[in-house]
Amino acid sequence: MTKTSDVVPETPVVKKKHKDKKSFKARLSSFIMCAPISLWSVLFILLPMVLLAFMSFMTKGALGRIVYKFTLENYAEMFKPVYFTVIKQSLLIAFWTTLLTVLLGYPLANFIASVKKKTSGILTVLLMLPLWVSGLVILFSFVILLNSSGIINTFLMNIGLIKEPLDLLYNNFAVIIGMLYMFLPFAVLPMYSSIEKLDKGLIEASKDLGAGPVKTFLKVTLPLTSPGIFAAVILTFIPCIGYYMVTDMLGGGTSMMVGNLIYRQFTISRDWPFGAALAMVLAIVILLMVFIYTKLGGDLDDLGA
Amino acid sequence: MKKKMMSLILLLAMTVTCLSGCGSSGGSDSKGDVDSLNIMVWDGTWSEEVFEDFEEETGIHVNVSFIDNTDTIISKLIEGSADYDLVDIESAYVKSFVDNELLTKLDTEKLTYQKDLIDSVGGAIGDEAMEYTTPDMAPGYTCVIYNKETCPIEIKSFKDLADPALEGEVAMVNSTISLYGMALEALGYSADSTSEEEIKEANDLLTDIKKNVKAFVGESAVSQLENGECSVAFCWDYSTLCNDTKDNWDKFEIADLDSPNEYFCQYWGIPSSSKKAEAATELINFMMKPEELAKDYEEYGGVPVLKEEVIEEYLPEGYYDNPSIKRYEELYNNSWKVAVNDDQINIMDTYYTELMGNQ
Repeated sequence: MTKTSDVVPETPVVKKKHKDKKSFKARLSSFIMCAPISLWSVLFILLPMVLLAFMSFMTKGALGRIVYKFTLENYAEMFKPVYFTVIKQSLLIAFWTTLLTVLLGYPLANFIASVKKKTSGILTVLLMLPLWVSGLVILFSFVILLNSSGIINTFLMNIGLIKEPLDLLYNNFAVIIGMLYMFLPFAVLPMYSSIEKLDKGLIEASKDLGAGPVKTFLKVTLPLTSPGIFAAVILTFIPCIGYYMVTDMLGGGTSMMVGNLIYRQFTISRDWPFGAALAMVLAIVILLMVFIYTKLGGDLDDLGA
Repeated sequence: MKKKMMSLILLLAMTVTCLSGCGSSGGSDSKGDVDSLNIMVWDGTWSEEVFEDFEEETGIHVNVSFIDNTDTIISKLIEGSADYDLVDIESAYVKSFVDNELLTKLDTEKLTYQKDLIDSVGGAIGDEAMEYTTPDMAPGYTCVIYNKETCPIEIKSFKDLADPALEGEVAMVNSTISLYGMALEALGYSADSTSEEEIKEANDLLTDIKKNVKAFVGESAVSQLENGECSVAFCWDYSTLCNDTKDNWDKFEIADLDSPNEYFCQYWGIPSSSKKAEAATELINFMMKPEELAKDYEEYGGVPVLKEEVIEEYLPEGYYDNPSIKRYEELYNNSWKVAVNDDQINIMDTYYTELMGNQ
């Protein structure tokens, strides 16, 4: 008995030690695994953001130099109507792009989710193909495709369908085409993920209970896939606000977006503090949107996190 | 919680990526050793063959960073992110560089080619005596070019670009100083005006013109003119058009305006931070040799900065028949120069934002 009682209390201690050792090993390996990306994140994301925030409260000096004197003027400047118009314009372009991308992307995501696994895999890869090519190359391809002596106009004129080249480039049509092309994959993937996760039994149940396809879609499919839609909205809207290459290259650069404005502050205007303030506000708006998204029940996984 | 933190970091990364798209890289640069020179030149102006020749002759390796605007040079020199030994500066910015002590004085006695420069190329505003800068390959002008076959009206004034007949026919550079300078001159003011009232008037004229603008372009309006997208362009591309094909010599013409055009030239400058001024001077001399310079003109076109009798034998036959060169003197004599200053740019840039903000 004595021997037994001596042995019994020892067992948990050995186990605990073993457990501690294991958890230390696991922690160490997690630390080693995470260290490079954490260091990278701190050095190239967090630190630049902190510097940007710091710079946004400083004063502009001669020839773009920064004078280390605290000011709130850079933030006050943003409320001038001239900048407000640019911000409004950017939001408007981002809004329309997002709306069209989601409206076109949802049926596509639904289709990909409805086909066989093998086919959906191929379709997903095809969908992601544009992401493997530089955005600049894609936009130049559109210029070649859409200009007056471009492939489309030449073809249409050669087959006698038109006599004069169509005005396909440097207008809103070209901007929308370009934006859709650039952002469609970002919108389709989270919606596809959401639709795929959907319990098909619920759709069957809805049908069994007498609901038609439209009602089933509106009452079952749409609400249950709304996190995917919201993720698509976030993933399209956020980069859209700052992305000015499409409006510059396909729209003819006749309008200014927040991205242009920030770029100009760091180059032509040489007003880095104001540029930093604009960038900070844009970053805050983005984080705020993500915060709202999570509060509404959105899953950060769907944003690629 | 950890997951959320990681998610937030990734989202921040997305934000940074999104913002990083707002700028354009000026190209790679690397810190040079004793046997190398770091230089910053404009993209599409210098033949790589010239650098290779220099490396072969001297054994000094040239690290070239290509830029598409002078602001990139200013940013890089001010932030001191890299050591540069030679930079290629627009004439309008020379004064800013000199005033802000970004350049070192040149050893002008060692610059062997200056005696061969054409008469019209002198010192830029702020360095008239050419103590800090010396001209390089590209004097030129920003002017209105039109397609003789398709332009619907005769253009006699910069203000004519606002004519409704030109709707959707105009391409323009998006350079603030060129746009506002030209509009100011057209209105009878000086291109270097800092008067808010005058700049506002120029902005009103540009707002009218914008109704006809199909595209504002950053670097070159050549493609818009050549592919027929636009029949008129306010740009600096006449010499490029003439160099592309001889067919363009009859197809495109510079409009004779009632106000002067913008004149510009590029200048070499050695940054004050450089410790290799002597080698940089050697590089300048090498690049400005007529036989080397001719290689650049053959590749990119342009008005030769050296006298005809010095460089002609190295240029392709008939190079001087090119209308962009023939008209150079005449345009030079009716042109304006400007030196960028922060006050003017601040006012102009606010109006430019308004111009582009209003659809």
